[in-house]
Amino acid sequence: MAAAAIGVLDTSHLNGGQKLAVKYYTVAIVLFVAQVLFGILAGLQFLYPDFLYGVLDFNVNRMVHINAMVVWMLMGFIGSVYWLLEDEAGTPVVGLKLGEIIFYVLTGAVAVVVLVYLFVQVGPGNDMTRWFINEGREYIEAPRWADIGIVVAVLTFFFNVVATVMKGRATGITGVLIADLLALFGLYLAGMFYTTNVSIDQYWWWWVIHLWVEATWEVLVGVIMAWALMTVLGTRRVVVQTWLYIEVALMFGSGILGLGHHYFWIGTPDYWFWIGGFFSALEPIPLVAMVVHAVYDSGAHKMRNSNHPTLGWVIAHAFGNFFGAGVWGFMHTLPQVNLYTHGTQWTTSHGHLAFFGAYATINIAMFYVAAQKLRGNVWMGAGIAGAWRWKWALFLLNAGMLTMTVALLASGYEQSFIERAIEGATWSGYFAGQSHPWFVQGMQWRMWGGWVMLLGLALLLWDLFTIGAGETRKAYSPSEDEAARTAA
Amino acid sequence: MIVEPVEVQDFLLAVIAGALIVLAGAVYALLFAISRIQGRPGLMPFAYAAYATLVGAVVFLARAAHFSGFWTFIAVLMLLGYLLAPHGVWRLCVGTHPEEVP
Repeated sequence: MAAAAIGVLDTSHLNGGQKLAVKYYTVAIVLFVAQVLFGILAGLQFLYPDFLYGVLDFNVNRMVHINAMVVWMLMGFIGSVYWLLEDEAGTPVVGLKLGEIIFYVLTGAVAVVVLVYLFVQVGPGNDMTRWFINEGREYIEAPRWADIGIVVAVLTFFFNVVATVMKGRATGITGVLIADLLALFGLYLAGMFYTTNVSIDQYWWWWVIHLWVEATWEVLVGVIMAWALMTVLGTRRVVVQTWLYIEVALMFGSGILGLGHHYFWIGTPDYWFWIGGFFSALEPIPLVAMVVHAVYDSGAHKMRNSNHPTLGWVIAHAFGNFFGAGVWGFMHTLPQVNLYTHGTQWTTSHGHLAFFGAYATINIAMFYVAAQKLRGNVWMGAGIAGAWRWKWALFLLNAGMLTMTVALLASGYEQSFIERAIEGATWSGYFAGQSHPWFVQGMQWRMWGGWVMLLGLALLLWDLFTIGAGETRKAYSPSEDEAARTAA
Repeated sequence: MIVEPVEVQDFLLAVIAGALIVLAGAVYALLFAISRIQGRPGLMPFAYAAYATLVGAVVFLARAAHFSGFWTFIAVLMLLGYLLAPHGVWRLCVGTHPEEVP
């Protein structure tokens, strides 16, 4: 079969794993759109409480908003692993057919779960509800049948990765990836049992939420970034892998027991104040220290790269992760402060910027890697037609998110004062906080941020489907350029 | 209770101090790295001025949050961590990029 022309959207440019990755990316993008749309609905309900009341209540919209986020990010990560697996292992993905089947099963299961969320919504609160409608655990509400399906799906994915690496080449990147996937999937099991004690339930629930987000997801992103830096910037493997090991050590060193900052107020023993305070105080230090590495690398590489949109989103990731996780996290993580802020819009503000900065950005960066290869490794450097689209999408999505973050912070600050400090976290204090003009104004500004994000998302989608169309130049190759300069 | 929360009148300054610790730490790391990589020793005093800001923020936060005993130890550890980590990462950078030493 003749190779497709450069600049033409064609999956024949891709290997088997990458074709499967594109399917995962497609579902991830659909869920990203769903996340933003249901976020808009939930945001409107803060301002107009009667809006869709009794049809799509706030709790349903919020649940779909957050679940869509968790699943689109996971789909993006899984897609990214399939994308790099064949290149990294040097052999076709083992059991790809099984991986394909599982993709359709997983996608179908997600669709059924969302439809049940939307059209059934609630059950009688017994075993039938837990198994078939909603498990009731915030962020991971999927009913038990879906939980089991997710475990089977991810075990198949794990098999694909391990079998491929065993057949092909084992590298530092694949070694870290396999260890991380084992932890990622093992930890999900901690959220799959039932207890009537809410403290015990929350204790294990945080194993899934915190240890996914602040440990295994961070490492997974480190793996994807390591591969992306080699591909886009041409960074040498030995450098990337060494730093991946260092990152894993730093992340796990402070991140795992940083779990303690979620155990301050759920009925766990007092020693969690010490543990949570200690590791939370240390958690931002690796993030700050990495500024040195970023400066060092930008000085050494002069930012020569093969894909400008990807590099743009990688830079957004660095800033978003630093501010969202580092600054917004440490501001309110010590128990002496967290007593006032826990569970207010302050947390929402931190959650929005940290998830977007640390994870959404890196998935979008990988979408652009895929868009480039889908058009035959087309030129995506300076002078590409319609470059304004990716630049404006980058700007609008980040500006929208920053607006939301700051607005939610203002509302959270008011809640901390009125609801917590003055009213003493009482039921009437909750409503006093929610109806205060400063809270409402913060929510209005948050809506503007949401609309800007929606606009940015529309532009991003337009760009992802059109970037590189009609372009005839091949992509710049950092590694070939390096070799040429060395020879000269 | 094992921890004494910040007073309401100190709340805003305490969270600003928390943010300032991380931001000043980043400015210190940034100026430290630029000073080293571009061979501009004149930037180093500004780097340590940023670190001094960080020290001030840690001291304010420690007072506002009634740090004592173990919590004071955490504050000291933070000061040492933010001071030494950029030095450590710089040495790692030099060690892992042997042919690219500026």
